[in-house]
Amino acid sequence: MAAKSTFTMAKRDFRASAADVERAVRGVHPTPVRGLFVVVSGRRYPPKQVMSLVTGLPVSAFTSHHAVRTLRRLGFAVGRRGHGTSVFTDPMPSTGDDLVIEKGASAAARDDADDLQAVLRQHVGYWVAVRGDELLVAAPDAKGVIGWLSQHGERAESMFRVPADEGAASGVAPL
Amino acid sequence: MTFGFRPMPIGPAGSLNRPIVDVVVAGFDAAPQACLIDSGATAIRMSDEIAAALGVDLADAPASDVVVGGARVRGREARVELTIDLDGDDVTWDAPVWFCEDWPQAFGLLGLRGFLDMFDLALSGQDETFELTPRFSY
Repeated sequence: MAAKSTFTMAKRDFRASAADVERAVRGVHPTPVRGLFVVVSGRRYPPKQVMSLVTGLPVSAFTSHHAVRTLRRLGFAVGRRGHGTSVFTDPMPSTGDDLVIEKGASAAARDDADDLQAVLRQHVGYWVAVRGDELLVAAPDAKGVIGWLSQHGERAESMFRVPADEGAASGVAPL
Repeated sequence: MTFGFRPMPIGPAGSLNRPIVDVVVAGFDAAPQACLIDSGATAIRMSDEIAAALGVDLADAPASDVVVGGARVRGREARVELTIDLDGDDVTWDAPVWFCEDWPQAFGLLGLRGFLDMFDLALSGQDETFELTPRFSY
């Protein structure tokens, strides 16, 4: 079960887990996203709307930056609507039971590509994010990878699932 | 821009070079999705896990079954903004993408509608390279 995080909002202390956040927004339609958004249960919400639902505080009681920072710490992906850019600030510490954190597991200067291949083979079937010859993170689902990247302010060059066999790396039969 | 095929691990010991390009989906440029160029695919298809993780709304999206690698999967089509990096230029276009349940492939697939009707492709299997040229202003 995901751990609860303690955070302060409007000078009050709260404790919540990612599951608590998902429960809070269940059945609630997102208000229009104008700039920043957070992805909760597959939908994009304004961060302040989510934090207001979680804490019961009015949106005027805290800043968008504070809401984003808290939600990112809980592992939610945060982005910005339009312009093809994502918002990242200072990285946050995090843990994830199902995540394999490989940051820093870079290949040696020689045979970089081969070494990355060897590292990737240890994660067959896992979603991975890579940058250069470095495996940033591996997780059992795409949400885990994207949440980790958002949480840590990291930017991958490529994300995919490590194929188990040649069939998984092949194209599609025409339809 | 000329791309080289990319080595991908296949199982516990093999490796295969594939024509793959990284595509930013719905503006989330922290996690470009590796996609295989596939002229045999009629459309752009990828895992619905991507849609869920990036908040692409599929609630009212039309659904249909597709055959992928011998498996029949259910997909939902949504129009999303896609971006690829061509020599330092971000090339962005709006495309229909099928997000599929239980996606069996390791990557997304870039097929005819939404990709190969937007870019000219020159591919050399011998050299393991390919070139992409947009057919639109960006």
